[in-house]
Amino acid sequence: MSSRAVRSVWSPALAGLLAIGIAASPALSPRAATPRFFPDDPIQVDDDRALDASGAKEIQGSNGYDFVEHTFLDPGDTRDIRAVNVNTIDEVPDSSWFTNRIGRREMTVAEIVRGPNQRETVDFDDWPIVQEKSSGITPGYRVRDPAGQLYQVKFDPPAHPGMATAAEVIGAAIYHALGYNVVPGYIIDVDPARIVIAPTATTVDLSGQKRSMTRTDVEKLLARGARLPNGKYRATLSQFAPGAGLGYFKYYGTRPDDPNDIHPHEHRRELRASRVFAAWLNHDDSRGINSLDMLEGPKGGPGFIRHYMFDFGSIMGSGSTKAQTLRAGNEYILEWGPSLKTLATLGLYVRPWIRTRYWEEAKAVGRFEGDAFDPVAWRPEYPNPAFENMRADDAFWGARLVARFSDEAIRAIVAKGQYTEPGAADHIATTLIKRRDKVLRAWLTGVNPLTEPQLSGDGILTFRNEAVAARVSSPASRYAFAWSRFDNATGSTSGTVETSTTEARATAPSAVLNGAQFVSVAVKTSHPDYPGWEAPVTFTFRRVSNGWQPVGIDRTVPPRNR
Amino acid sequence: MIRHRCRLFIASVAILACGLPADAQEREPETRAEALRREREEKATRLTPPDPNRLERALLDLENGRLFERLLSPAEGLYPKIGTITAGSGLAVGPGYRASHRLGGAVDFSAFAMGSIKKYWIADARVQLPRLLNERLGLDAHVQTYDFQEELFFGIGPDSARADLVHYGLRNTIVGGSAAVRPTSWLTISGGADFLNPRIESATDDEDYISTRFDDVTAPGLADQPDFMRYQSAVDVNYREPRGNPRAGGRYLFTYQRFDDLDDNTYSFQRAEVDLQQYVPLLRDRRILALRGLVSVSEADDGARIPFFYQRTLGGPDDLRGFHRLRFRDNHALLLQAEYRWEIFTAVDGAIFYDTGKVASRVEDLNLRDLESDYGFGFRFGNANSVFLRIEAAFGSRGGTHFVFRFNNVF
Repeated sequence: MSSRAVRSVWSPALAGLLAIGIAASPALSPRAATPRFFPDDPIQVDDDRALDASGAKEIQGSNGYDFVEHTFLDPGDTRDIRAVNVNTIDEVPDSSWFTNRIGRREMTVAEIVRGPNQRETVDFDDWPIVQEKSSGITPGYRVRDPAGQLYQVKFDPPAHPGMATAAEVIGAAIYHALGYNVVPGYIIDVDPARIVIAPTATTVDLSGQKRSMTRTDVEKLLARGARLPNGKYRATLSQFAPGAGLGYFKYYGTRPDDPNDIHPHEHRRELRASRVFAAWLNHDDSRGINSLDMLEGPKGGPGFIRHYMFDFGSIMGSGSTKAQTLRAGNEYILEWGPSLKTLATLGLYVRPWIRTRYWEEAKAVGRFEGDAFDPVAWRPEYPNPAFENMRADDAFWGARLVARFSDEAIRAIVAKGQYTEPGAADHIATTLIKRRDKVLRAWLTGVNPLTEPQLSGDGILTFRNEAVAARVSSPASRYAFAWSRFDNATGSTSGTVETSTTEARATAPSAVLNGAQFVSVAVKTSHPDYPGWEAPVTFTFRRVSNGWQPVGIDRTVPPRNR
Repeated sequence: MIRHRCRLFIASVAILACGLPADAQEREPETRAEALRREREEKATRLTPPDPNRLERALLDLENGRLFERLLSPAEGLYPKIGTITAGSGLAVGPGYRASHRLGGAVDFSAFAMGSIKKYWIADARVQLPRLLNERLGLDAHVQTYDFQEELFFGIGPDSARADLVHYGLRNTIVGGSAAVRPTSWLTISGGADFLNPRIESATDDEDYISTRFDDVTAPGLADQPDFMRYQSAVDVNYREPRGNPRAGGRYLFTYQRFDDLDDNTYSFQRAEVDLQQYVPLLRDRRILALRGLVSVSEADDGARIPFFYQRTLGGPDDLRGFHRLRFRDNHALLLQAEYRWEIFTAVDGAIFYDTGKVASRVEDLNLRDLESDYGFGFRFGNANSVFLRIEAAFGSRGGTHFVFRFNNVF
């Protein structure tokens, strides 16, 4: 390792500003004059199940209002601030929203593929229908197993056998590995001859009246589903989440009836960064209406709310009941700029995505491609307040999770979709890999990409350059370090010493370490292709019995484009 | 006593201490977990139930009640029917009722009645068996009665004058039935018979009444309206996609009708029509060239005449859009329409169009000379499968700009 003092990369003024910035960082801050780092920092779990939320009421969602509100009213807090629920090392603690899985530990391919499912297969024949599916556009119904567990059955559209069902299980596996709560789901082939209707089964007719469900109703549902050559119908069987349904969560604000929900959703890291995952998977239907809040706890007793990502039938090339539209992922339903240009030119202006070519050799694929895909320009159906608030550090966090999905894992997940048409599975997997690589190039490089700092007892600093590790960048040409003692009570730094290296490793000056309880090191990364990496990332360490514990990671983030 | 006072003092301090914020509430949190818990405990003191605003509640009620579906695509039960009765009727509303899959699932029943702001009205009831032979055969029986109070008449022939505009009322009752065979999804062969009972009624303004300017010679059938039997057959080749808002494919409709005067054959005639529509998708269906050509030829029986109220007409929101509705009428008609449609955004298409056509008393005059024509632009609101609102402005006729406001596509 080479290390030498540098002349003027760092100034005391800049170091002071950084210290103030660190001290002012709002990450999981108690919003009061307190030490920068508490003894339990960085927390790994945000205990948002502690208080009783059993008084919460169901929130019903209106598709129309959701569109109007998000298209015209721009809800939520739009300030360009750091995500408020990250811990002091810029990670998302486990909570009722998110459980670190692939981002915190190695997951085997089998584990990723299994996802939320507890079983390999389910023997669902003869489970009686108890109700027609009451929401959404996909035809389906609900069945109950002998133990009383409720499941939802949803069919593929007739013109695209295998499309929505594959999307559903693939999406569930990926979102589960990422860390979100999703419900177990299985691909099944429904034999019409073995469908049983419970005597108490109900449906709601178009006049809004609830009535008994009949065989004719089931036949009408099946007529809207894809019939396989063997006479069966491909469907997904999704297990209902435990607890009592409380509707959905919005991508802004907090639930007013949940004491545990204190972080505005538009400032939650895992919701902001879900834009990264949505772009990767073309999950254009990623909106509050497709989420789920469930009250867990003993009946009549205290409870807490668990938040789910829900309904992945409209990801990749699937639009649930048809192939994805050409617009999906490229433009909001209503976007004034291109609309007015098209209007004014009588259509002579052609939106670029209209010319995008898709591989259309397999009906189960729908429309899914990776060549024209631009992750930064990607759009859901209409604006999402958390997506709009995504900053470079949120995107970086998300991209790091995406980087954990190997080619092997992606191909194994796609196999779970049980594509039968020649080339379909390969196209889906290849496209996911291509889009993954674009996601990584776009968002692993948007900030100074250093993570996982370690400072050994003998003062050796190591860290990981995520962009280099993911092979989307060549190694940096130089790392410059500004070492300081850190005063945890005041947030100020002192005794700054500057060094630099050409590799991701450095030796801390003993003058800084000796006698210090906290030390911080601001690292600038030099790379000819990424001048933005000169914006420093600051690591803070606390002295512990066997060396130094990383307690703080603070990134300098460019202003958000909104 | 001292001990008692000490106890009182201690008790007072304890009470005061309980009344004050606990020490734990005063001091700074010592851990991150404690700090977060305090925030949650503070929120727990001010919980409120979710409170959707008025618009959200209204839209939720609409969606839960499936009101839009009932308005736009009713399938069951009582519903409010909204739309137009015929060109020129103005907005009409009334009750509708549908019941499907009755009597073992084979029979559908529907009925509606509508009245318009221009005092047009219509009532219609029909029983249908649309799913016979695995949906390859459909039967229909219907009864309909209507009163169109302010129909326009400019005279007969291509040279009729706008200044000759008069009005008449047309009341009619139709009772009949039909059968349709669908060998494939794109082919329908149908036939049917109807009893017709047309009557020309007084117009709303006597000064503009048709008889003030025309007589039975210049407006055949004005003096006397017999009952008719109408027999018709049709071959419909329809491979438009999607059917409700076509962006590709075509429709070729061939119709033959025979009108038998049930009194003395004075007004018996027959009619043949060819209506061709083609949709040329451009730019992945985001632009469409829509073309239509219609030829209608009618021939009276020997010694008979075709009544003016059953002559083919041109003019109005569905054909020559730059002209008054019913502006031209005669025994034969030719219509050519071209539209360029382009998607502005998901729910709205723009359109520029050109219509041209003519009516003629002789078949040999159905040529491309002396055509009436118009042009214009408009917007279509709907979704991929339907157009629920069409707004257009049409120009080019000598009658000034005509605005079209309809709840359907033009073709």
